[in-house]
Amino acid sequence: MSALNRALPEYVPVLIAGGGPVGLTLAALLGRYGVECLVVEADPSYCEGSRAICISRRSQEIMGWIGADKPLVEKGLPWTGGRSYFRSTEVLRFSMPSDPTERFAPMINIQQFYVEELAHRATQVTTPNADVHWSSRVVDVEQRADAVHVTVEATGGERRVVRANWLVACDGGRSTVRELSRLALEGMQYEGRYVIVDIEQATERTVERLAWFDPPSNPGSTILMHRQPDNVWRIDYQVADDEDPVEAVKPENVLPRVESHLRMIGESAPWKPLWISIYNAKCLTLNDYRHGRVLFAGDAAHLVPIFGVRGLNSGLDDAGNLAWKLALVVQGRASAGLLDSYSSERVHATRQNIAYGAKSTEFMAPPHAGFRLMREAALRLASEDTTVRSLINPRQSTPIEYSDSRLNIPSDDRNARPRAGDVAPEALVQGRHLTALFGAGFVGLLFSDRPRSALKERGAIEYGVARLDVWRVSRTAVGKDTNALVDESGEAWRRYAAVEGSFVLVRPDGYVLGRWIDPSWGIIDTALARFRSRPNTEDETRAPALAQDER
Amino acid sequence: MNAEELDETYSMLSEAIGRVGPGRAPLFLATLSLALLARQPSSEDALYLVAQAERLALT
Repeated sequence: MSALNRALPEYVPVLIAGGGPVGLTLAALLGRYGVECLVVEADPSYCEGSRAICISRRSQEIMGWIGADKPLVEKGLPWTGGRSYFRSTEVLRFSMPSDPTERFAPMINIQQFYVEELAHRATQVTTPNADVHWSSRVVDVEQRADAVHVTVEATGGERRVVRANWLVACDGGRSTVRELSRLALEGMQYEGRYVIVDIEQATERTVERLAWFDPPSNPGSTILMHRQPDNVWRIDYQVADDEDPVEAVKPENVLPRVESHLRMIGESAPWKPLWISIYNAKCLTLNDYRHGRVLFAGDAAHLVPIFGVRGLNSGLDDAGNLAWKLALVVQGRASAGLLDSYSSERVHATRQNIAYGAKSTEFMAPPHAGFRLMREAALRLASEDTTVRSLINPRQSTPIEYSDSRLNIPSDDRNARPRAGDVAPEALVQGRHLTALFGAGFVGLLFSDRPRSALKERGAIEYGVARLDVWRVSRTAVGKDTNALVDESGEAWRRYAAVEGSFVLVRPDGYVLGRWIDPSWGIIDTALARFRSRPNTEDETRAPALAQDER
Repeated sequence: MNAEELDETYSMLSEAIGRVGPGRAPLFLATLSLALLARQPSSEDALYLVAQAERLALT
């Protein structure tokens, strides 16, 4: 894993600062799309501590695009719901939408370092396209008209300037690239602090999200518990407002509270602490994720509250949104303006995530006396009045629609959902999950009970990630048609609100680009044209970009 | 009211309690309660809610 013996290249099309889960997933995706990239990570290896542990269904799909879903699901612990208690009384039992035909559980728990390892392994599959250098950090960034010059310092202080067409900052909440670019996150943070503790303890308990408000074990506090693989519990608990954060994470202050709670819930096996950290909710974002040739993703671009698990999950969505666009721009198939849609779509997603996250935080870490009083009332009332229980629901991460994206193509079928900007729904068709078709190129889903030869382009490899695979989804037998899937139950037709001849065009990141009824090939061709310019030597990646101070 | 509207109402009410401050919060909540109780279909319904709130406030 050491980078010491390998020299950094002088030039690379895409340099990714930060080898965390977002940077490594982006690298693996770019590698698959045929784009050379270099990852530089300041740390010598994967992260310490479990950190982000809840991986959403959408994130599992994205990990599937880099071939990492199988080991992820094998190692992770799936769950579908949870329970909340006020003192000793259960006041909420929730379950996330899930049915047996789903490809993935709504959520799995797995330590972040495993996600990093799986994404890193996926980059190795795409070698030589994706190259990861550990113990190497960005120390200077200079944007020029035709390139960005990034100074990287390896262990021992050796420095090298790497020229790149694009620099993607995936270097976390304290992003060096953001600082060097003189950009600051904007928004607000909450005062309420949570201590985060990982402990190792054998348990037979069901995997679910558990929350206690004012539990007898720790009166006045709020406690969250999640099981992780390897017999690890994640325990989050709120510390009092007047408690010193440095004191709060000292083992002598943490361990008795954990012991008291484990005893209360009847977990009596021997245990030991593995990792202790402290956290307060933040709602912060850059206003633009593209600054000339520098792009921002994950925590480097935005920090959202932990409640509802939108941190890593939104970062992986950033990677999924950016990878195909960056690939098309680097390969000269699309103009650099396509990257502005990355920014506008994902800034919109962040604002939605912040709105949901803020709602969850208002309940989990009430920001002032008004919210504290109302929570006291809601918890008491919830014990006998089911209509208010939804207030306690953690509002878990779900994919955000890009309803106003400039990429969306107006539909002649405008009342049907999914529409342009929606996430293309899952459906199990002839033993195949539709989402398993996404992530490699554009996909056309043609809902028709009879063959239509006019719309049969498939696997036009020369277009790279802008290729189109058309699948006919038929409710009747399809004979020898290899591009057709039989939707015996009609489930896919229903979920796509399809009629005979409906054509849903899905982007490489699984979002609907447009939908039509009985479109001509010309309409589809036009829809894809802006992603399919012929590569030439004067491609957009070398065109002058705005200097940093002009933005 | 759906869950989303309840959520929004909860936040707005919490903010209002914060704005009137601890000294005026009882009066604010009493005014609000009376307005809501007056909208109940019968005194029986209203008194059930009063009794429930009294019981829960003592827990």
